[in-house]
Amino acid sequence: MVVKVKFHSLFKLNLKSAGINYYIDQPISIEELIKKLDNDFEGYFSEKLLDTGQIKPGSIILINGKNVLHIDKLDTLIEDGDNVTLFPPSAGG
Amino acid sequence: MKEYLKRQKDIFSTAENNKLSNLTVMIAGTGGLGTHQAQQLQRIGINKIYLYDNDKVELSNLNRQIFYGRKDIGNYKVQVAKNHLDNFDLDTKIVKKNEKINKNISLPSDLDIIFDALDNFETRFILEKLALKNKIPLIHGGVNSWYGQIAVILAQEKFRLKNIFNTANNDNSTPNVLSPVVSVVASLQVIEGLKVYLKREDVLKNQLILIDLLTLEIDKIKIVK
Repeated sequence: MVVKVKFHSLFKLNLKSAGINYYIDQPISIEELIKKLDNDFEGYFSEKLLDTGQIKPGSIILINGKNVLHIDKLDTLIEDGDNVTLFPPSAGG
Repeated sequence: MKEYLKRQKDIFSTAENNKLSNLTVMIAGTGGLGTHQAQQLQRIGINKIYLYDNDKVELSNLNRQIFYGRKDIGNYKVQVAKNHLDNFDLDTKIVKKNEKINKNISLPSDLDIIFDALDNFETRFILEKLALKNKIPLIHGGVNSWYGQIAVILAQEKFRLKNIFNTANNDNSTPNVLSPVVSVVASLQVIEGLKVYLKREDVLKNQLILIDLLTLEIDKIKIVK
């Protein structure tokens, strides 16, 4: 099973990576995904996405075009073929 | 048709050209995005632009807010912007609204499109509510460093800024902003606004467009709620 994770905006710039694919045996939660990402990117994502065990304000986690805050937050399950999009919103004008 | 618009008239049908001359827009924020949008919309020859902002020009604005210079520091943006645009002596009416966007403002009754030219999500959520309540299309745009995003919010569609960015108003960081990036995002917003107003088929619906100007990649993310 494959999960595609794409990084956008400053995440992409800072990591010099546009994303990563994970091969999983069974569905994993967003929290577990962040641990996998931390292993591959030196703890970057728990710093950017988490604040005292919750999703940090100002960072966006979408699964197939839906914000995980409207699903089960960090417990939201990611399944085979899902697309995860991670980015800080562009707020300036 | 106005003589000064002849180099663009064949891009549109006769009916579209007539319609464009009646277009009235609100530009919510007369900063980086707003000054670029206003300049383009005036050159397109639309009917009227309402410029909203209650800030005064500051030194830190001058890297991207193209109507202002050092001598304008301390003056109200909408007044300087109106003077700047009126000096071109073109036919678009420029109306200054020295007001902060808040939930209690009454929008002008003749608006066709609202352009988001704000710099924070808290006010964007208020603007989105106003646009939906009045059933006026809202063209969202935002910038950060080399990156930008745009989206179209329509009352009859599902996409809402509040659904996607609902915690972004708690983010107090100040984004970096670069004039050419602001210019590209503002241009894309104006183009999308024209397509919505002219009822073209290829309007963005329920999509978030993420723009990377370092790699020149544009990602369209289909939004389901």
